[in-house]
Amino acid sequence: MAAFETRTVAMPTIRKLARGSGVGAIAGVVAMLVAFTLIDFSGWWTIQTLSNVMHFASILALLAMGQALVIISKEIDLSVGSVYGLSGVTFISMQADLGVGGAMIAALIVATLCGLVQALAVVKGGLPSMIVTLGGLFAFRGIIYVWTGGSVRGFPEEARMHWLTRMFGGELFGIEAAFFWMLLVLAVLSLVLWATPFGNRLLATGGDAESAATRGVRTDRVKMGAFVMCSILAGCAGIVTLADQPQTHVTLGELLELESIAAAVIGGCLLSGGRGSLVGAVIGAFIVVSFRYELIALGAPSSWFITFVGIVLIIAVVFNQWLARWAGHNV
Amino acid sequence: MMKTSKFAVAAVIASSLMIGGAAVAQDNEYRFVMVSHIGSNDPNMKWLTLSLDEFESRYPNVTTEYISTNNYSVQEHVRLLEQAISTKPDGIAVPIVSTDAFEGPLRSAVEQGIPVVAFNIPDSRPVGERIPYLTYVGGDEYLTGKKLGEFALAEAEAGNIPAPTGVVCASHDAAHQGLKARCQGMMDAMEGTGAAFEELFISAEPATARSTLQSYLQANPETNYIFTVASWSSPWAWGVANDMGLSPDVDNEGVTVITVDASPVALAGIKRGSVLATNSQGFWLQGYAPMEWLYWYHELGYEPQSDILTGPIIVDASNIDHWEALVRNIFGDAYDEQDTW
Repeated sequence: MAAFETRTVAMPTIRKLARGSGVGAIAGVVAMLVAFTLIDFSGWWTIQTLSNVMHFASILALLAMGQALVIISKEIDLSVGSVYGLSGVTFISMQADLGVGGAMIAALIVATLCGLVQALAVVKGGLPSMIVTLGGLFAFRGIIYVWTGGSVRGFPEEARMHWLTRMFGGELFGIEAAFFWMLLVLAVLSLVLWATPFGNRLLATGGDAESAATRGVRTDRVKMGAFVMCSILAGCAGIVTLADQPQTHVTLGELLELESIAAAVIGGCLLSGGRGSLVGAVIGAFIVVSFRYELIALGAPSSWFITFVGIVLIIAVVFNQWLARWAGHNV
Repeated sequence: MMKTSKFAVAAVIASSLMIGGAAVAQDNEYRFVMVSHIGSNDPNMKWLTLSLDEFESRYPNVTTEYISTNNYSVQEHVRLLEQAISTKPDGIAVPIVSTDAFEGPLRSAVEQGIPVVAFNIPDSRPVGERIPYLTYVGGDEYLTGKKLGEFALAEAEAGNIPAPTGVVCASHDAAHQGLKARCQGMMDAMEGTGAAFEELFISAEPATARSTLQSYLQANPETNYIFTVASWSSPWAWGVANDMGLSPDVDNEGVTVITVDASPVALAGIKRGSVLATNSQGFWLQGYAPMEWLYWYHELGYEPQSDILTGPIIVDASNIDHWEALVRNIFGDAYDEQDTW
């Protein structure tokens, strides 16, 4: 009898916990860490390994958080890899004329414009975001090719030592700056999502745009905000990456749009909109990068990574949908 | 030895044809199309387009077209090839990136009477089995890896760099047969040294490539040679090894970086002591010579009886000044802009 009572009390609590859209990602990362610990304890739990994984997971997390915002609004952004690339190339290429600070501002303006143009096409033009941002993916990549003529110029030594470059690409206490920037963005965006009306409006827009509109939510503005923030975050990720390692190429950002979507979805975002988590997106990025590291460490051919991401993605979608339904969400 | 003599003979033939070209009547109009895998995102494209310009200036009755894509895929390349064939050109130059994918369209072109010259990447099957093109003009991807590997071993024997204990061939395209052949050549060169060898797909995206390579080097600390099969990824390899404290400069300790192509970034890497060696595969000639052979095929009915190897030529600290001057002449001001070190 006592056991029954415990169960009846515990079940609603777990069900309540499952309402959080990042719970699936947390369960996933715990399972992953347990598996890596059992398989490769001495290789995984080292400062070098975790530093490597956290560094690149932070870059991907910046992209994934932006992607999460767009997915929550029931849209998708396939152009983030190209926006990341174009912003990064702008940062490197404009440095000679504008200086480090000016080049950073120029890169962020380029990213903002990319997001704004696409947002207008989706919201005002009524075009599907998948098509618009697919066009953006090709168009922005094409601009990189035409602009650079095939190779991105070097970043001079004095620019590498500039305080702004070091602030975005250096280290603090032996930890890469990218990690701190990612944490800062996570904190600010979480605050925006959970402590301002924008968060509720974003979830409402993604959940049921018509219903949200009848309650006075300007869904067009909300979606535009999501697209622009997504592009700005992609631009930030490009700057953070190149401030650390400015040796780059016109392939900068290729396929990162898919990894960012994978991270956001693994992190609990549902493509049907209205449900998602920034913390989940960060954890999703951590899972994606961790899998790449561990597969290589275990000696698997590196091209298997794509296969594993695909498998993890499908499992995550199934699990997150089941979790959402079980918690009482209509998905 | 056989390959070397072929190269020498080919060079002499090519030179004599270039000299003799002006003496031949230029009444017929021709249109030759180069359907390339090298897009404008690859600096090497300039070698080819400049050589086509030079060819056109010497043969005003010939029009050359250079077609490529930046978003490379074999499917896209085949589509471009089929489009080019449908325009009935007087000749096609194409790299055989995939024998399976290219065999059908190219056999169809040959049956339609369109002569084909393979450049840059050959059909690696025996002559009787391969796609019936006139000839192949280009480097030998396998020899590129092998000669660079042999050069590294000679340098190790001379005490200039450490002997290999582990070699990783870092490739950005897991499906590219030419890159795979480069890795295979390096692997064969290292055979018998006892060094572990791995072909690692790092992707073409810089951050992903760095993460992948860093993961590999951490998990395989015996690795002390990194062979990047694209020159633009050599600074990434050097940067990762440097960040990990693996002493990647060219000296008798730590990691040694080897790359390919006589591109500004590779040459700058050698100049600053970060890259041991690279190679030239005679890119300029790979644009010019296929056009020559297509032209002479039409004008005189010539059909070369062997492949024409334009490389590899090893470039290292000993001949870097010569190559830097040569490549600067091609790239002009862009040379320094493409130095991403």
